[in-house]
Amino acid sequence: MAKSIVSPIPGVFYRRPAPDKDVFVKEGDQVKADDVIGLVEVMKNFYEIKAEADGVIERFLVEEEGLLDSGQEIAILIEK
Amino acid sequence: MPRYEYGGDEFIFVELAEEMSLEVNFQAMAITKKLREENAADILDICPSNASYMVRFNPDSIHPDALISKLKELEKSVSMDDFEITSRLVDVPILFEDPWTHEALIRFRDRHQDPESTDLEYVARINGFESTDALIKGITDYPYLVSMIGFVPGLPWCYQMVPREKQIEAPKYVRPRTFTPERAFGFGGAFAVIYPVQGAGGYQLFGIAAAPIFEKDSKLVDFKEDMTFPRQGDIFRYRSITREEYDSIRQQVEEGTFRYVTKDITFKAQDVLENPKAFSDDVLRRLYS
Amino acid sequence: MIKVKNPGLQTTVQDYGRIGFYEVGMPPSGAMDKYSYTASNLLVGNDENAAVLEVTYLGPVLEFQQDAVIAITGGEIPPKINGEPVSMWETLSIKAGDELSFDFVKGGARVYLAVAGGIDVPQIMDSRSTYTLCGIGGLEGRALQAGDVLQVGTDHHHVVKSGTRILEELIPVFSKRHEIRVVIGLCSYRLTEESKERFFSIDWTVTPEANRVGYRFKGERLNFVEREQPFGAGSNPSNVVDLGYPIGSIQVPDGIEPIALLNDAVTGGGYATVCTIISTDLNKMAQIKTNEKVRFIPVAIEEALQARKEHKQKILQMKKHIEGNLEGQMNG
Repeated sequence: MAKSIVSPIPGVFYRRPAPDKDVFVKEGDQVKADDVIGLVEVMKNFYEIKAEADGVIERFLVEEEGLLDSGQEIAILIEK
Repeated sequence: MPRYEYGGDEFIFVELAEEMSLEVNFQAMAITKKLREENAADILDICPSNASYMVRFNPDSIHPDALISKLKELEKSVSMDDFEITSRLVDVPILFEDPWTHEALIRFRDRHQDPESTDLEYVARINGFESTDALIKGITDYPYLVSMIGFVPGLPWCYQMVPREKQIEAPKYVRPRTFTPERAFGFGGAFAVIYPVQGAGGYQLFGIAAAPIFEKDSKLVDFKEDMTFPRQGDIFRYRSITREEYDSIRQQVEEGTFRYVTKDITFKAQDVLENPKAFSDDVLRRLYS
Repeated sequence: MIKVKNPGLQTTVQDYGRIGFYEVGMPPSGAMDKYSYTASNLLVGNDENAAVLEVTYLGPVLEFQQDAVIAITGGEIPPKINGEPVSMWETLSIKAGDELSFDFVKGGARVYLAVAGGIDVPQIMDSRSTYTLCGIGGLEGRALQAGDVLQVGTDHHHVVKSGTRILEELIPVFSKRHEIRVVIGLCSYRLTEESKERFFSIDWTVTPEANRVGYRFKGERLNFVEREQPFGAGSNPSNVVDLGYPIGSIQVPDGIEPIALLNDAVTGGGYATVCTIISTDLNKMAQIKTNEKVRFIPVAIEEALQARKEHKQKILQMKKHIEGNLEGQMNG
């Protein structure tokens, strides 16, 4: 079942833990519930976005450093 | 002519002059001192600054225009001829060209006017000093008036008590740094400052103060009554120290035994304005006697 | 006692603010949306200056370890007790062992949680407000963390009946576009006439850094009148000789991005300030999120004072309504 992962907060979306690091997950990767798939930066704080269930990240809907609104969809997760 | 401006419905801002001078700073001090003495219940904050001052008031009890009229009256009634300031002379030990601010200034070289020099080298050159040592001598030879407090709690803006032609001037960074070490000694515009806490900043970095100027729960005697040490009207003498003395002061701070060398002083604004050099020489003699 | 199971994004203890220390560089801090803050305290019978929790964007998960009377006001971050939705802007009873949590933010940005008696933390310079930049006030000078335990104080004088609600017409409605009124002045003479006109005619977007110190806006570059800089001001045309910044004042460093200073403001510095948000609209600013649009509207001082009167009138109306729903007086 396809499920969208949404950001609870507005901010800037990052797929990597740091500019010189690899992305947390690639499209098509397997993830487990509570795996971090990205970060949202707001008020100079970083908030971790986690997968809510086991599955496969089908695709990201926001690009690196894209601006997010609260409630905006970040990625599509195909649940196992 | 002073400009009286609304800062929304809760503040009045009064610009006494667009440019900085000892004279205009004393004037702001004199007006705000008198205003403070009136103890008006509808005034919440009185903030003297370098060439201006600001008042926060309660608009439910006084109309801003009524307050402006009152401030204009007050300004007329203040005479600078016999204005006296009671404050402290303070010895402020600075380690110039220290490793901590050096690391910070190197990290943000891409935000500086001159990425090839250090901040001290750059400011020495644009002010016509032959060396960084000559600039340090220029900074430490004459004392500074604490002309304003703010930005963050306790940050003192310090204006050197020398004639205009001897004032050192420096631009701020092209883009501000996102990091400045705590107690960094910086210079921007015509002002020397000490950063009370770590944080952003745009002043040229010359060194680091050995002792704190802000302590929220300190054992030090100088912070028993207030978290912040500097007060407007204080006279700071920045003294260049060795790494050895720096380490020794740091240890005293850690142990809670450090105390600033200070002398109480009452002086006439006119005496400073008439002969800043004689005043400065006298002040230094008294501080270390 | 209240146990913090999850702190949310940034949850701090705030009261009316630390007033009277601006001259030493100490900003007032305090609740950013004073209207919602006051309503929350009124609904639980607290003193008007009692400390509450200010929640930003993402709510905490709190476990109450005692029975308590609470009220949640402000932006729309829907609260739940033991997973069941409960009303905002209403006096609620919560039992020992109950868990308070929140859904995702739907509107506005900040929520106020008042507990009858107030949050009890030490007073620093006459206030319990948290000022995180210097680590002062609140709980150890910082935002809440998981595992923290909050004590309930005694700052209340009335018992308000459960189910008491703020009148519907007094509950603010939140949108994603905002009009914020300002009084022009301070150093507005530094902007060119054209830039002044542009400042008031474009939509400004709130950037992600926006926090309690200030909000930064993206829009377009503004220009300053060319001049020889006054002595001591610094070389950038946006520089002035360092001066005091009113709360709510707007500056435009280097003409690039305007910054509105708010409750945890830096109190002074060397950038030309061009206008000041009126005190009533500072409450509205507190409820604006990153990425939302703001239009600044210039008003005369009399309009600012009138808005302030209307604001006070609304608070008075709330008070009267709640006074009709009391169960009793507290002693002392």
